[in-house]
Amino acid sequence: MRSAYLVPAILAVLVLAPMWGLLSLGQLPGFEPQDLQFWQSAYIRRVVFFSLWQALLSTLFSVAPAILVARAFALNGEFPFRSLLLRIFGLPLVVPSVVAVMGIVSVYGSDGWIPLGRSLYGINGILLAHVFFNLPLAVRLLLPLWQGIPRHHWALAGQMGFSGWHRWRHLEWPALREGLPGVLLLVFMLCLTSFAVVLTLGGGPKSTTLEVAIYQSLRFDFDPVQAVILALLQLSLCVLVAVVLLKLQKLPEVEITISSAAGESGKYRSRLNRVVILVAGIYVGMPLVSLLIDALSGPLAQVVANRYLWQSAGKTLMLGLGAAVLSVMAGWFLLGASSRLANRGRLKQARLIELCGSIIYVVPPLVIGTGIFVLLSDYIDVFAWVYAIVIIVNAMMGLPFVIRTLGPAMRKNQMQYRYLCHSLALDGWNRFRYVDWPLLRRPIGLSAALVAALAMGDLGVIALFGTPETATLPLLIYQQLGAYLIPQATATALILLGLCLLVFWVLERCIGGKANA
Amino acid sequence: MQQINRVTGVVFLCLFSAFSAQAATPALVIYTYDSFTSEWGPGPQVKKAFEQQCGCTVEMTGLEDGVSILNRLKLEGNNTRADIVLGIDTNLTAEARATGLFEAHGMSLDNSALPGPWDDSIFLPFDYGYFAFVYNQESLKNPPNSLKQLVEDPGGPTILIQDPRTSTPGLGLLLWVKKIYGERASEAWAKLSDRIVTVSKGWSEAYGLFLKGEADMVLSYTTSPAYHIIAEQDRRFAAAKFSEGHYQQIEVAGLVKSSQQKELGRKFLAFMLSDRFQSIIPTTNWMYPATLAVSKLPQDFNALIDPSPALLFDDKSVSRGRKLWVNEWLDTMAK
Repeated sequence: MRSAYLVPAILAVLVLAPMWGLLSLGQLPGFEPQDLQFWQSAYIRRVVFFSLWQALLSTLFSVAPAILVARAFALNGEFPFRSLLLRIFGLPLVVPSVVAVMGIVSVYGSDGWIPLGRSLYGINGILLAHVFFNLPLAVRLLLPLWQGIPRHHWALAGQMGFSGWHRWRHLEWPALREGLPGVLLLVFMLCLTSFAVVLTLGGGPKSTTLEVAIYQSLRFDFDPVQAVILALLQLSLCVLVAVVLLKLQKLPEVEITISSAAGESGKYRSRLNRVVILVAGIYVGMPLVSLLIDALSGPLAQVVANRYLWQSAGKTLMLGLGAAVLSVMAGWFLLGASSRLANRGRLKQARLIELCGSIIYVVPPLVIGTGIFVLLSDYIDVFAWVYAIVIIVNAMMGLPFVIRTLGPAMRKNQMQYRYLCHSLALDGWNRFRYVDWPLLRRPIGLSAALVAALAMGDLGVIALFGTPETATLPLLIYQQLGAYLIPQATATALILLGLCLLVFWVLERCIGGKANA
Repeated sequence: MQQINRVTGVVFLCLFSAFSAQAATPALVIYTYDSFTSEWGPGPQVKKAFEQQCGCTVEMTGLEDGVSILNRLKLEGNNTRADIVLGIDTNLTAEARATGLFEAHGMSLDNSALPGPWDDSIFLPFDYGYFAFVYNQESLKNPPNSLKQLVEDPGGPTILIQDPRTSTPGLGLLLWVKKIYGERASEAWAKLSDRIVTVSKGWSEAYGLFLKGEADMVLSYTTSPAYHIIAEQDRRFAAAKFSEGHYQQIEVAGLVKSSQQKELGRKFLAFMLSDRFQSIIPTTNWMYPATLAVSKLPQDFNALIDPSPALLFDDKSVSRGRKLWVNEWLDTMAK
């Protein structure tokens, strides 16, 4: 059982060691510690308040509609382009923030399709962008909850003549309650740590998030101690929110059943649900379509013909897949440990372990990256290890996504089959091969795809260490923008999105299996 | 479970060994910013030209910007791999000097094209530019002709600027306003703030939004229109000339004290001041080369505004005042 704590221990080391490394910089000669009262200052109070406020609002506006959209998808089992639409919903995760800002402005800017004028800049712009990023993600994360409702429940509901409301009340809501708090937490974290989008669309420094303050103290002020304190503040705020949310979570009793899940839900299609899907599709699609139009009207051929682009694409792909593999493996062990503890009645510890993995996203990559650099640069040539470090940090950042997608399915699996496996003496590899893999390949595929997308769009970690000969695609986009090559950057962004779509398709198909929707 | 553990171990090992590529050949290592090393920046041409004459290899590491370069150097201290640091500007030189990590260049700047004298014994300039508000001449007919007019005309044009905490031009504007308004800088920002559409994290976001038509003017460089003229044959864009003068940015390079290749490093600095390097700068970095005669500039640079007088705080004043001034700016702008 000691192995149960291995993954959380590694995580703790990966988070705390870099912070400790940064704190040790406080003793460097020439380093002047800043006034440690800073965190009581009006500035930090304002920043904390704003960060929380915009994150809560963004979470609400993203997840509430996402419930409706996911439900509509669940109840409409078949319609043209359904699976393509769902894959497109994985795309916003990979869009570099500057490209997303341009997309949002193309749609809602003063020359846009739905011009909002100056009122775009402020909370409106922040919400529009955050909903664009997070609504589709939330849909992807919530949809499997419907698919988890056993078939005979739907059949029973049908026999008893349940109305739509009753189905919602007795079938769907209980299923939702298991996963919803986790999805809320994940979206909250993504919004809390949002940086360039909030600053640029927020209209100015009144829209400063904690993440900006951390970046400022580590870069602009070069004050590692202050950066670490702010990072810990962000982490504790998140723990607080996580604790509140997990209190709301109610794990359903899992019955031992041989009835397969999913399938039945698709029968309840209605016109209203189709409208909901259409509206969500248009909302998410518009900034992407504007990007497509910009890219197609630009020098796409010239960009595609560039040899460097394909080297960058290869590198991006490698980093994305590397992070996905590592993250899914780490998530697997963490969740396995957590569910074994839960089975033995040690619920608190089980939850704690899961919480560790869930909130790791809010530790700023800048802090971790710089810390790793400080710790390792005396011993190894950090440049030579840059890809390994980037993959590890991105895999850590992806862990909450794995926990959200794989967690509920794995818990259910464990509860349903552990006695069976026990009596058949199925263990280790055989158990994985004959029991876990066939049942869990679908959530594994989704989580791998999500982490790959996240890592492929990453800019923070790799930019920190400096670019060798070939940049990743997001870096290439920034380089092109920095060289006035905006049309080229748009074209590169389109290629990044295309690559991401491909990765989503391949991972969901190859890992998730053919029957995947 | 054990078998899975073994598989994990193998995968970890593969990951680690695959990416620990070796780079053991002796080389001149240059830390610079990432848009310098990019395919469109001066980096590739500079590397090629210097390698032809030095019989060495040049290895460039592109970091986010000047601030990142300096921070990286602070973190690495005397263990740094860098022989040359190229791309910090005069807002950072005081801090860079204070680290004690740089060595005097021991050269003279004979054919300086800089508007002012240069007496820095540690750093040598390689290019310079001026901040300016760029606008589209077709849509903005009467641009302001002074910073005062921009600030004080309530019906004036809307602008896009960058955040001084995260961006070099953003800090440049802060210093520009400070230079003109001194103690009354906060009042100026308060007057201006209504017309600031947004304050972006970096130059790219603001410039991109400007090209999308989100504001009348964007904070950029006097040389920005040259890009549109030379690369796109587009003559719509111009920089507004302000009568008080324009705030200057001078980008410098320095020799790292712990370098094992100081001879090579000095050769590079001399190369940096030669026409071969300097003539690469205008159409790749879109700045003015520091030692190239005006007559050797691309012709279209003559069409640009004359930004004189050049405004500049000395590096010590910036180093002393920066944090205070940024906080002052935050207090005004965050209201």
